[in-house]
Amino acid sequence: MIEKGRISYLELALIMYATVVATAILYIPYVTSQHAKRDLWLSPIWGSLSGFLIVMIIVKLSKLYPGKTLIEYGELILGRTLGKIISFIYLFFLLHDTAIAFREYGEFIESAFLHKTPIIFVTGSIALSCAIAVHGGIETIGRCATIFLPIVLALYILIYVFLIPDLNVKNIFPIMQDGIMPSIKGSIAPHAWLSQFSLMSFLIPLLTNQQKVMKWGMFSVIASVLTMVFINLGNLFLFGGIISNLYFPVFEAARFISVGSFFEHIESIVIAFWVLGGFVQLSSFFYMLILGTSQWLTLPSYKQFVLPIGFLIIIFSVWSTPSFEEMIRGMGTTMPFYFLTVQLLIPVLLLGVAVIRRKRSKSFLP
Amino acid sequence: MKVGGILGVTVILVLIFLYQWPKLKKNGRKVKMTFFLLMLLNWVLAVLLVIFPEMPGPGQLIDFIYKSFETFW
Repeated sequence: MIEKGRISYLELALIMYATVVATAILYIPYVTSQHAKRDLWLSPIWGSLSGFLIVMIIVKLSKLYPGKTLIEYGELILGRTLGKIISFIYLFFLLHDTAIAFREYGEFIESAFLHKTPIIFVTGSIALSCAIAVHGGIETIGRCATIFLPIVLALYILIYVFLIPDLNVKNIFPIMQDGIMPSIKGSIAPHAWLSQFSLMSFLIPLLTNQQKVMKWGMFSVIASVLTMVFINLGNLFLFGGIISNLYFPVFEAARFISVGSFFEHIESIVIAFWVLGGFVQLSSFFYMLILGTSQWLTLPSYKQFVLPIGFLIIIFSVWSTPSFEEMIRGMGTTMPFYFLTVQLLIPVLLLGVAVIRRKRSKSFLP
Repeated sequence: MKVGGILGVTVILVLIFLYQWPKLKKNGRKVKMTFFLLMLLNWVLAVLLVIFPEMPGPGQLIDFIYKSFETFW
């Protein structure tokens, strides 16, 4: 094992929560409401199906091959050549996914605050600070998650607590005006985000104790889904029908806060705290990518590759999408299918082959 | 402009190299080779992106592969 550090169940759940939720609350309301309109709060509930399914498959696989990550048991299950190819597809996906996460972060900071700064400075500076955390290993990221995420969670709730006088619960009606289909169609983006729970396979071998991992994984999925439903409902109550025209409803909501006409313009505080969650998300993505790459190449350590791979991520984040509009369009159309094929189909394939292999080897034994 | 971009990328990569080299010297051949290949890949991609900013990237590849799914949605 390359990594010597160990994490607890709570840290696993928090890291996975940050990995999914930090950018999800920014982008999901817009992408979902394009199809679902007023039913956007139902979509994450449909999306949770792929989250639960993937957690079950990944936990099952890690029970069959204890102490190994997806990259390592892929090779054991499918044989050396095919296993390397499948792992490469997964790693390339992970690189792309990490780059997209950095781009999402950069685009948000740029459109909210730093209008004239080139995006490469925003992503580059966060990549540098993430590189320091990644260099410290998984324990550093786990501690960061336990310290930062309670603050971030409190913030998500506080935004809407301050807005209670402006919330109009009647905006939720009519529920399911055009039947159930629009909310299912809108659920494609939550499906994509929740399918990122397949990254849990990199963290399970690092747990000190692995019996209750299923329970904590499910807990993490439920927490992420509840957060998304909460954020979507809060935005719907505040904005009503115009929600499908706002790129960042959460940010607009924070801008809307005004308590007694002296407590205003707190969106800067909101973003400053949100960045903490974004930092945990980006550094865990970054960490998993580096761990996966060094396992794929069977290298003795990963610390030398933190800076070169960080540079590669920044290049990919510039290269992968030409513009913000293009990225948003991709999130609602082609990206989710890509996420689901890699993160759902590959684990299902591995589990199927592994189970068949186990059965055959048992029947041959006396 | 383009010369400046290429120079900037090269300077950053050289700085990364200088920072990592003292620790890298103790490692085996495989680690060194991987490091150099990664740096080479970084440099080639960065220079290509500086010269052709509109170069089709992985996003377009994904769009191309999954375009047919869009019609079902």
